[in-house]
Amino acid sequence: MTDTLLFKNIDEPGLNTIDVYMAHGGYTQLPVALKMEREDLITELSGSGLRGRGGAGFPMGKKASFIPKGDMQKYVVCNADESEPGTFKDRELIQKNPHQLIEGLLIAAFAVDATINYIYIRGEYDQQADILDAAIAEARERGIIGENIFDSGFSVQLELARGAGAYICGEETGLLDSLEGKRGNPRLKPPFPANEGLFNGPTLINNVETLSAIPSIIKLGAEGYAAIGVKDSAGTKLVSISGNVERPGNYEVALGTSSRELIYGLAGGPVDGRKIKCWFPGGSSTPVLTADDLDVGYDYDSIEAAGSMLGSGAIIVVDETQSVVELAYKLAKFYSHESCGKCTPCREGTRWTFHMVERIKEGTATPMDLDIMAAVQEQIIGHCLCVLGDAMAMPIGSLIAKFRDEFEAEIEANRNERERKLAEEFAAAEVEIEGISA
Amino acid sequence: MAEVRRFTHDSRIPGWDRAADLDKEPAVVPDAATTEVPPELRAAIEDGMRRFPVGDSAFIPALYAVQEHYGWCPPEGIEQAAAVLGRTPAALSAVATFYDMFEMEQLGRKSVYVCTNISCSLCGADELLAALEGELGEDPDVNVRGFECLGACDIAPMASVNGVYVGPIGLGEVPELARQIRQGDDPLPERQLLRRPSADPKVAEK
Amino acid sequence: MPRPVEKLVSLTINGNEVQAPAGMMLADAALKYGDVEIPVFCYDAKIGPPVGACRMCLVEIEGIPKMQAGCSVAVTDGMVVHTDTPTVKAAQEAVLEFILINHPLDCPVCDKGGECPLQDNAFGWGGGLSRFVEPKRHFEKPLALSPLIAIDRERCILCYRCVRFSQEVSEDDQLVLEERGADTFVTTFDGHPYVAPFSGNITEFCPVGALTSRPYRFRARPWDIEQAGSVCTLCPAQCNVSFSVRDERVLRVLSREHDGVDDGWLCDKGRFAYQAIHVDARITEPMMRDGGELRPVTWDLAIETAAKLLSHAGANTGALVGGETTNEEGVLLAHLMREALGSNDLDSRPGGALEIELLRALSAPTLQASVPDLQYAHAVLVLDCEPVDDAPILDLRLRKGVRHHGVKLLIGSSRPSALDERAAHSARFAPGCGEAFAAALSAELAGQPSASLAAAAGADADDVGALAAQLREAGDEVVILWGERLTAGPRGNEGARALLNLAEQLGLDGRDGGGLLEIPSGTNSRGLREVGVLPNASIGLADAPTAGRDSQQIGEALADGDLSAVILLHSDPLLDQPSSALWQRALGKASAVIAHAAFLTPAVLEHANVVFPAESYAEKEGTVVHPDSRVQRLRRSISRQGETRAEWALLAELAARLGSDPKALTCSMVSARMFEQVPFYAGLSLDLLGGVGIRWSEREAAASFPSAPAAPFTLDAPPAAASPNGLLRLGSFRSIWASPEVEASPALAFLHPRQRVEISPADAARLGINHGENVTVASNGDFVEGLAHIRTSAPDGTVFLQTAIPGDSAALLEGPLVEVKRS
Ligand SMILES: Cc1cc2nc3c(=O)[nH]c(=O)nc-3n(C[C@H](O)[C@H](O)[C@H](O)COP(=O)(O)O)c2cc1C
Ligand code: SF4
Ligand code: FES
Repeated sequence: MTDTLLFKNIDEPGLNTIDVYMAHGGYTQLPVALKMEREDLITELSGSGLRGRGGAGFPMGKKASFIPKGDMQKYVVCNADESEPGTFKDRELIQKNPHQLIEGLLIAAFAVDATINYIYIRGEYDQQADILDAAIAEARERGIIGENIFDSGFSVQLELARGAGAYICGEETGLLDSLEGKRGNPRLKPPFPANEGLFNGPTLINNVETLSAIPSIIKLGAEGYAAIGVKDSAGTKLVSISGNVERPGNYEVALGTSSRELIYGLAGGPVDGRKIKCWFPGGSSTPVLTADDLDVGYDYDSIEAAGSMLGSGAIIVVDETQSVVELAYKLAKFYSHESCGKCTPCREGTRWTFHMVERIKEGTATPMDLDIMAAVQEQIIGHCLCVLGDAMAMPIGSLIAKFRDEFEAEIEANRNERERKLAEEFAAAEVEIEGISA
Repeated sequence: MAEVRRFTHDSRIPGWDRAADLDKEPAVVPDAATTEVPPELRAAIEDGMRRFPVGDSAFIPALYAVQEHYGWCPPEGIEQAAAVLGRTPAALSAVATFYDMFEMEQLGRKSVYVCTNISCSLCGADELLAALEGELGEDPDVNVRGFECLGACDIAPMASVNGVYVGPIGLGEVPELARQIRQGDDPLPERQLLRRPSADPKVAEK
Repeated sequence: MPRPVEKLVSLTINGNEVQAPAGMMLADAALKYGDVEIPVFCYDAKIGPPVGACRMCLVEIEGIPKMQAGCSVAVTDGMVVHTDTPTVKAAQEAVLEFILINHPLDCPVCDKGGECPLQDNAFGWGGGLSRFVEPKRHFEKPLALSPLIAIDRERCILCYRCVRFSQEVSEDDQLVLEERGADTFVTTFDGHPYVAPFSGNITEFCPVGALTSRPYRFRARPWDIEQAGSVCTLCPAQCNVSFSVRDERVLRVLSREHDGVDDGWLCDKGRFAYQAIHVDARITEPMMRDGGELRPVTWDLAIETAAKLLSHAGANTGALVGGETTNEEGVLLAHLMREALGSNDLDSRPGGALEIELLRALSAPTLQASVPDLQYAHAVLVLDCEPVDDAPILDLRLRKGVRHHGVKLLIGSSRPSALDERAAHSARFAPGCGEAFAAALSAELAGQPSASLAAAAGADADDVGALAAQLREAGDEVVILWGERLTAGPRGNEGARALLNLAEQLGLDGRDGGGLLEIPSGTNSRGLREVGVLPNASIGLADAPTAGRDSQQIGEALADGDLSAVILLHSDPLLDQPSSALWQRALGKASAVIAHAAFLTPAVLEHANVVFPAESYAEKEGTVVHPDSRVQRLRRSISRQGETRAEWALLAELAARLGSDPKALTCSMVSARMFEQVPFYAGLSLDLLGGVGIRWSEREAAASFPSAPAAPFTLDAPPAAASPNGLLRLGSFRSIWASPEVEASPALAFLHPRQRVEISPADAARLGINHGENVTVASNGDFVEGLAHIRTSAPDGTVFLQTAIPGDSAALLEGPLVEVKRS
């Protein structure tokens, strides 16, 4: 089946070991690539139409073509930080088929002539990191990583680096700073990593899924790969589906598959036949869509046309029993906790939003606070170095826009509840005072 | 006098009220000649340094080594790592406090992270955290904490027990899990992520 | 490294066409060339490239959908910028609203109030109201960050300036941010104080009142004070400063940013030692020794007595002139000595004279590098000096060059340098063997490596070779930043020749962007030499009609009874001269010691017969010359404290009383006369110097600098470094903190050094010495005590001690070998 590429044989026992991987045709594409001219290889990658799977959807081959030629030390860094809420696809790829990632990464490294390469994995993925470490060691042992691999004259190093718990280190320049042993603050761009990245050298940064797709591209050829999916959204995509669905998990589909098919057909839809209140199409950073949007094709352009983004390809389904205030609370709490703190609007805006939602919950907010909250989101979007702040502002903005009534109702209800409690306490206190004075 | 109201969540930061102790010497790069470093710790840090073209990039591996050695990142451990890396201890503490997984206070060595982010909380994570805290909160060996999305929303609600992902965890399973954690047993083996087949039906089909 | 070329581009800002140099950041270009202010917090060009953190500077640029940070976009041709659209306005208001969320409105009790960029930006660009109704954070405040700096974390707006200063400018890496996001705070490691040579800059650099100077806290409001611009004369770096003056008291010192001198920074000595102006310990009235003790006397009596004593000694008078002396005072002292007393025994160089020809060669205008050259050269060789101690602000310039302009830093020194870590190569040689080292290096460069020269220098031949290779490959623009000690002492002439040969090997004469830059021992050493305060030169570095005794010979002659009186003009030979023993004998023997001093330092306290109060640098007028030949003007900023009088006037009066009136009615008259008399100063005037000074070597009149013999010189073989044989070689250095002003300033006193004995781990182990214990260093029956300080980087076989510490100075020991043992 052509739309199972990344997940081919995924549950084959021992696929994470080099022998089983090779028994299923692993490490046959790397030598093919090594025989190609670098330019042709990059043309091939560009021609496949593969877009970055980490969130921004930037064409992979084009990014590789930005890496300057010359003698300077170049790097490929694989972004395995996967911290976007709702996303867990890279985890399954690393855990079950680490060699596919290594093979893809080595092909990319050859394409841009990067001899020192890193995989930066989030620290929480301890077990996955151990599996990946073992796989790298195996590849090194077989001479697949090392000097003059496959007699191509190309020598390459690959190291695994573990993060230590910071969402912002998924942002590519935050990741680079973290790799360099610093706080993971995003950098000013330009210069872009392709020109000045890790240790100031040209650096190609790609997501785990992006790199894992490369062996299939070499195998199918650019055209073969591009034939999968729809226009400007080529290939297959792993979709992490979670939240209020019957069968949460990762599903590999051709881009362009209908969202309804994903949420209902594959993941079984909400439990107990509940209705969908809203869904995040690409991780918690993306503006929410509603049940009205279920027939949108799951590809970059269609989701964008619907007013959101494909992001990391993680669908979070929220059913009708959930509260939007609670959603906003979790969002604001997460992003204010994860803001690196460098940019004022993001640092202060996320924390302020969190306090405002907190007050809605406490019953001390008024509908005017909703306007302030919406205005604050506007003043975060597009004003910062990276888009972490936007990643809160966009979904919260969309929640307020789409569910204003519900927010107002909850504000009202919580105020009433608080007043009722205060009155009760007050009454209780009076009784006591009377008791004393009596 | 009325007490000044503080945000409990904003004043978790212990350093905010920290003044300098003027009797201390400034914390410059510790001199290797006068800083003793436990040999295992030194070896672990140097191993980290070998993975980078620029040795002093190995901050995170060095901090993991310190945490492994002491159970947390105590000032003397940071000083020792600073001596090996040839950097100031402040450069290291700046990095250590940026990341959630480095403990700057001595807490239980057994870590239990419960994801309380959106997908998990849609599936009852807050209740799970409360239940685990109820069971283990008093245990000085255990550090139970809510955590941001751990990348395992498919097994929501879930927890990472010393790095081992388990889920979905029913509230009824909490006492058993707590017992296993206390005793150092394998946590809910049947619920461990590593044993879970892919959800993709095409995989199941095959 | 070629300096950035200025190519102009045209852009439009708010509808007006503006020309600005390509590559300049928009915020700078808009202000400088378009008269449009883009508000900023985190940005300041002098810290280095922008980080774009605060987002105060957002602007719209046509063709770019997102707003851009004006601090971090370089101007390009045809760029169309808007800084006043509703979108920009809204963003500016929002950023200020965000910043003010947690900023307390305690401006009435804030030291920054009235001179606060946050107030100014809020006033200029803020919306005027806040919708934030949640309680602000409150924390304990202010807290001590160090003895000098208070931190008020509520006020911090997390602009990154202070931590970037610590990490990227001074590179001490002590001040950092901890935690993340809105929890982030500025701190040091585990409650250690932030104590570093340049820490005080952050109090001036913080755009809010979060970091304040403890000595200045609550002393004044901006409208109570006046700013008086002058020059700091506490070291040869001569940073440009502005004194904050209230009621004739200096309350604070700020930088008066000068790119050619200090780049806008000050060291903590320069920033805080103003306190010494106003302490009781300062001498502010004339004193005379009476029954063995110094007692205050009237001016009349003091002058009369001094005149009498000097007239009695006549030509048997010597004079030592300290570095804080101005050119004008130097001119008048030389007049007093040469004309009134008939003595040529005056010197401003400690440790002995240099042949005048060599001095001219070293000072030749075509061979002088400038301070900015340190930042842009292909390579800088730091030779036999330690910038952070000897001219601190240059340490920052070198770091900047390495960090931002790829300068290749090379070091040749005896003692490990604070800059070693930033250096492409550091080589060590035995203390006092700079001459042999320079000779070995030029031999290498000439392609004739000499193992014997390297051995004589106590250096490793491979090390010398490596350094030479680096120099050879670096490129044309090479600066040698060298310390006066290389040309001091009995073999000073040979040291100078070796250095000149090295410069010749590198082809530095006449080279743009390269050359020699000396760090002399005294603040105004260069000026004093140029106006003839030397035994062998008269004004304008002309040959002295009769050569007199140099400082070393003056000491010897006093000790031998050949001289009977000595004038100590801002000089304490027990602190400044290489041999304390000689000067103890000399002063003990002298029948008259006339001192001009601000503090009762050892020689004054024990030996002076008459003491005149010295003006502080804030009280002085006159000129000084920066080591890179910049003539700078001192301006009187406060009235003279106590009974202090103008010293130029005093020197003139003494000369007059002794029968040779210099006819100096005002100080500026002396300056004007000096500009006429020094041929290469021709055309200068005080007005021309203005606030920024002028490098005379860059002017046409420089052509009239006396000619000098050209390198190469033939060198005789330098003596070999002493072989330790179980003992240790003695090396010495003067810490930035070893100065009477530091000791006298209450806020800085904690930094005044105790003697410490620096040895290598191997030597410590061999001698059974532990870190931090008391040890004794002895030679020829003299000894000094200090705390053992074991340093990995210390070279084996050598011990380093500090000079200029009263009581325990390294100058008490003869060397070259000493014995170190536990006390
Ligand atoms: C706040 C933030 C977090 C991000 N987190 C991740 C992540 O965890 N994993 C990832 O692959 N990309 C993440 N990205 C996107 C990366 O910056 C980058 O675009 C990506 O790694 C490029 O790889 P790709 O082109 O293969 O997608 C994040 C971006 C932002 C702004
Ligand atoms: S937008 Fe937020 S997370 Fe991104 S760099 Fe700025 S402060 Fe850091
Ligand atoms: S001044 Fe431009 S972001 Fe701070």
